[in-house]
Amino acid sequence: MTEARRSHFWHSDGRRLSGLSTLLLLLPFFAIIAFVFVYPILQLLVISILEPHPTLENYARVVENPVHMRVLMRTLWTATLVTALSVVLGFPVAYYMSRAKGTVAALVAVCVILPLWSSVLVRTAAWSFLFQRNGLINSALMALGLTSQPFKLLYTQSAVVIAMTHVLLPFMILPIYGALRSIPDDYGRAAAVLGATRLRTFLEVILPLSLPGVVSGSLLVFLTALGFFITPALLGSPQEMMISTLVSKQIREVLDWPFAAALVGVLTVFVTLLAIIFSKTLRFDRLMGNAS
Amino acid sequence: MNIASATQSASGASIRISRLEKRFGAVSAVDGVDIDIAAGEFIALLGPSGSGKTTILMSVAGFEFPTSGSIHVDSEDVTYVPSNRRNLGMVFQNYTLFPHMSILDNVAFPLKMRGLRAAERHARAEAALATVRLAGYGHRRPNELSGGQQQRVALARAIVYQPRVLLMDEPLSALDKNLREDMQLEIKRLHAELGITVIFVTHDQSEALTMADRIAVLKDGKIQQIGPARQLYERPTNLFTAGFIGEMNFVGVTVESVGDNVSVTLPWGETWRLPATAAVEPVAAGEAAVLAVRPERLQLGAGSGGQVITVTLSDIVYAGAALLLIGRLPDGTEMRARIPGASQLCALAPGDVASFTVPVEAMLLYRGSRR
Repeated sequence: MTEARRSHFWHSDGRRLSGLSTLLLLLPFFAIIAFVFVYPILQLLVISILEPHPTLENYARVVENPVHMRVLMRTLWTATLVTALSVVLGFPVAYYMSRAKGTVAALVAVCVILPLWSSVLVRTAAWSFLFQRNGLINSALMALGLTSQPFKLLYTQSAVVIAMTHVLLPFMILPIYGALRSIPDDYGRAAAVLGATRLRTFLEVILPLSLPGVVSGSLLVFLTALGFFITPALLGSPQEMMISTLVSKQIREVLDWPFAAALVGVLTVFVTLLAIIFSKTLRFDRLMGNAS
Repeated sequence: MNIASATQSASGASIRISRLEKRFGAVSAVDGVDIDIAAGEFIALLGPSGSGKTTILMSVAGFEFPTSGSIHVDSEDVTYVPSNRRNLGMVFQNYTLFPHMSILDNVAFPLKMRGLRAAERHARAEAALATVRLAGYGHRRPNELSGGQQQRVALARAIVYQPRVLLMDEPLSALDKNLREDMQLEIKRLHAELGITVIFVTHDQSEALTMADRIAVLKDGKIQQIGPARQLYERPTNLFTAGFIGEMNFVGVTVESVGDNVSVTLPWGETWRLPATAAVEPVAAGEAAVLAVRPERLQLGAGSGGQVITVTLSDIVYAGAALLLIGRLPDGTEMRARIPGASQLCALAPGDVASFTVPVEAMLLYRGSRR
C-alpha cells in the first residue's frame, strides 16, 4: 500500500528509474521554480530590510501611511469580492457542466475554457469598450430609457471587479467541476432513496463533497486577484489604486525598490497567513477520504 | 397508530411489476417483464450484464422511469413516484457511505431526512448498527472501515427507517470470497428477522441459488425463467437457463418419434428411448433437439436404469469433494462428469476410454440446437 503510494518514475520496460535519473528529470522544473520564484521573492524581502541600511523603516512607511494601508485594504477587499462573485457565478456553471452530457457538455466546456486562450489584455480591452461613456452598456441603457445620462462605468472600482471576475471565473469553475465530477452518481441516488429531496441531497451531500473544489478555486482566484495588474491599471480609477499598481509605480516611477519590496513583503505575509488558516480549518483529507 | 399497523409496517410489502418496458433509443433494456413478488419474499434477479436486471431495480428504486408498464408496492402505483417518497431501503455495490459523515451520521441520515430529533435518530442508528454487529463504530469515518464493515453499515442505513422493501444492487461483488459468504448469511439472517421483502440483483448464480426464495433469470431484457432454486437447477425450462445455471452437458440429437416415449438418434447413430417427461419443451418427430444432463448425474461404469456412453478422457481434475472428468463422446462432443468420493478412481488416466451411465430421469430434452 505504502509502496504503491510512493511516486516513482518508471522505464517503459517496468524497471524503476534510479534516484539519480529521477533527480535529473525533476531538476529542470525545480530549477525554474527556484530561479524565477524563490530567488526573486527572497531577494525582494532582503532588499526590504537591508536597504538603504538594515532597518524596518520601509515596513513602518507601509503601515504608518494611511494611504498605503488603504491601498492594501482595497486590494484585499477587491480580491475577496471577486472571489465571492466567482463562487456565486461559477458554482452553478460547474454543477451544470458536471451533469451535462454529450454536445451540451462540450459546448459549456468550450465556453468556459475558450476565454483562457485569449490574453487577459484582450479581455480587459473588450470590457473597456463596453464600459465607455458611449459604449454598448450605456447606449443600451439609454435606448431602453432607463437613464437619460450615461453612467460613469470606466475607471471605477466596479468596472475592475466585474472585469476581474470575468477573467478569473474559469479558475473557479474548473476546480469545482473537478470536485463535482469525482462524486459518484450513486451518492445522489443513495441520498434520494434514503428520503432526501433534491435540495437536501444537494445541501447535505453534494455541496459538502464539492467544498475542496470551492476552496481550491477560491484560493486560485483570490491569490491571482491580489496581484492582478492589467485590469486595475486599464479599467480602474487612479484614485482607487490597487497594490500591484502601487508597487509598479514605486519601481518604475519613484525608483524606490526597498519600499516596493516592503509592500510585497506585507502582501506575502497576508497571503501566507491566509493559506495557513485555510489548510488548518478545512481538513480536505477527511472530506475526500473515501470516494472509491 | 394501532398495534396491527405497527407490526405490519415492520414486515414486507408485496411488489407487482407489470409489463415493464424500458427503451434507451432503439435498445430495449427491459422488454415486457412481469414479476409478482409476495410480501416478505427474497427474490434474486440473475443474468449476464446487459440482461436488464439492474434497469428493473433502478425502476423499482425510482432512478429510472419505465417507458411503459407499472410497478405497484402493495396496492399503490409507484411507477412515477420520486425515489425519496418510495420509502424503500437500498444497498449499492460500492457501499455509497457519505465520506464526510461519521458512521453514526450515515446511519442516522434517513432519519434526519424524516425529521427525527438528533437524540432519537442517534439512538435508533446505534440500535441499527448493533443489528449488523457494528455497535461502537459510530464515531468512525467510512474510510476507517474495511469493505465488509462498510457494506454492513450500508445495510444498517438501509433498514434503520424500517422500509418494507430492501433493494440490493450486487451488494457483495466488491467483497472477497470469505467476506461475501459471511455477508450472505448476514443478509439472510436480517431477512428472516425483519420479514422484509428483498429484491437482490446479482450476476453470481451460486449467490442467487443459496440466498433467494425465487430467482428470475434474465436475458436481453426478458425473463427466461422464474422459480425456486431447485426448480431452476433440476428442470430449467429452456436452453438458456439450462446453460446459464450450473454446469450442463449438451448433445445435439434428432427426434425420431414422439409418443409415450420419445426416441432420439444420437450423433453416432445410436437410438435412445426417453420417457415423455424428459421433454421439457414439446418436440416433434424429424426435428433437431438438444439432450442435456448435469455432470454430477453421470455414473462411472456401465449400469442399469439408464443409457451407457463411452467417453475418451482428456483431463482428470482433482477438485476436492469430487473428481472432474472431461472427455469426448464418439462424435467429438465434450462431456464432463463430476464423480464424488473419487479416491478409488486414481487408476484413470488421460487417453483412457471410460463408460458412464446416464440415468433416464437425469435427461432433459429441449427443442432446437445449440449455437
